[in-house]
Amino acid sequence: MLGRGLIGAAALAALTALATVMMTTGAAQAFEDSKYPNLKGLWTRSVQGAPRFDTSKPRGLPQQAPLKPEFQKLYEVSLADQATGGQGNHTVYRCLAWGMPAMMNGYGTGIEFVVLPEITYMMVDDGNDSVRRIFTDGRSFPDDFEPTYTGYSIGKWLDTDGDGNFDTLEVETRLLKGPRVYDNTGLMLHPDDKSVINERIYLSKTQKSVLVDEITVTDNALTRPWKVTKAYNRDPDPQPYWREDVCAEGNNHIYIGGENYMISADGHLMPAKKGQKPPDIRHFRTN
Amino acid sequence: MHRHFSLGAFAVAAALLTTFTGAGAFDESKYPDWKGAWERKAPPRWVQQGDKAPLTPEYQKIMDWNTADQKAGGHGWETSWMCLPPGMPRIMNVYEPMEVIVTPDTTYILISHIHDNRRIYTDGRDWPKDVEDSFKGYSIGKWLDTDGDGRYDTLEVETRHMKGPRAYDTGGLPLHADNKTVVKEKIYNEKGNKDVMIDEITTIDNALTGPWTVKKVYERKKDPKHNWIEEVCAENNPHVKVDNDNYMLSAEGLLMPSKKGQKPPDLRYFK
Repeated sequence: MLGRGLIGAAALAALTALATVMMTTGAAQAFEDSKYPNLKGLWTRSVQGAPRFDTSKPRGLPQQAPLKPEFQKLYEVSLADQATGGQGNHTVYRCLAWGMPAMMNGYGTGIEFVVLPEITYMMVDDGNDSVRRIFTDGRSFPDDFEPTYTGYSIGKWLDTDGDGNFDTLEVETRLLKGPRVYDNTGLMLHPDDKSVINERIYLSKTQKSVLVDEITVTDNALTRPWKVTKAYNRDPDPQPYWREDVCAEGNNHIYIGGENYMISADGHLMPAKKGQKPPDIRHFRTN
Repeated sequence: MHRHFSLGAFAVAAALLTTFTGAGAFDESKYPDWKGAWERKAPPRWVQQGDKAPLTPEYQKIMDWNTADQKAGGHGWETSWMCLPPGMPRIMNVYEPMEVIVTPDTTYILISHIHDNRRIYTDGRDWPKDVEDSFKGYSIGKWLDTDGDGRYDTLEVETRHMKGPRAYDTGGLPLHADNKTVVKEKIYNEKGNKDVMIDEITTIDNALTGPWTVKKVYERKKDPKHNWIEEVCAENNPHVKVDNDNYMLSAEGLLMPSKKGQKPPDLRYFK
């Protein structure tokens, strides 16, 4: 009887050891979703109307961006140009990328998140099928990265309420390139492209279908860091349709000799502004 | 008694395992490890040396026109010069390094080129009834365990609902303008080499005399922290389309002809 008991105990110990080994192996290869907030689905900007950086204020000068005087002047010139049919500082009309932080305005269908332990991906079809990779594997900013509109993002998951699960993704983005604007009114970031963007991304404590992104931009065109809080709503459709938004398709803007022109419905070049002269065609033989 | 005790221990072990890798966990070990950056092993062309596209006579004529136009400085059937996406199946030429993200519901293929990112749904869904056609199409996939070892090794994909115009590569080899293309893929690792990925792509298209299968091979880059580039087609693109024709922009940004003897665009709308 005792022998049987010992055999049984030995079997239990062996099986527990086996289970432990399997768990260890499994832990290395299994990603425990439940430790991270559920960010699945399609997220659309909560404030509709024209996308803008500070959604609590109207677009344009009412944004009250803390611009340095020289950048305030440039912005006013840009707005005046737009008022006469130009594009001002806005660049995305010619299909350049929004980049950070404007891509978080929620253009196109919306934003998809894929959360993995080492990376969180954000996919935004904002006319350029943009992807953000937020590295959460403990790396530092690289020395050999070619700056991009999206920049290089390093994140850290936080368990702010100590319940054992991560709830907040803290992100810092650097290594950006330009030209970049906050929205299509041409509200611009500094051309030195030394912006640093810090974010805190979390689900609303009261509504799990609302995602919050607190964005702080530190940029040499600003007198101080500019902080805004954006919110996104989760689409209730579990199989949302991701629309393909191709900027170049049907784009009737054309950029020639540093100026914006338009393409008419019949495909001909036409002025974008009253009194605009035709482009220089010196490279054609006219005889 | 002994047997009963062992079964009980198994039950305890199984319960422990279920708790740790249960509903909230994605068991990556069931799927192939496709992490990292994958690069194509061959030039981004669909027709390999010594091969010939099985085009119908009608589309062979279009191809002949396309080739002649490209020789004269035009683009023929090819549209990526104006930043229109390559779409499927051309995406799988993998113009820039590819990242494959495997999750139970969706496999994502990310290629920063011209809208080359794909979603392959593996959640058992059916074809949608109200989908808007796109260059990349709508892809439904199924994981297979072809060698019965308890792990998935092959992703079978079918892509439909594409729009055009699409070509297979910059050579302008055309797909049919009716856009009824169906693309079937089998994606797996080369046997014995986890750093080589194969995509067997079969295109069924009305410009072809029959289904056309090509095999694309990709190699995993060694760098575990690959620096992903950002390709923005419109940036520094010297091509512009005016009067339904291709013109170029010179280094100083001025309009210039792309073909010998090309006339300047019609400027009738300027006073």
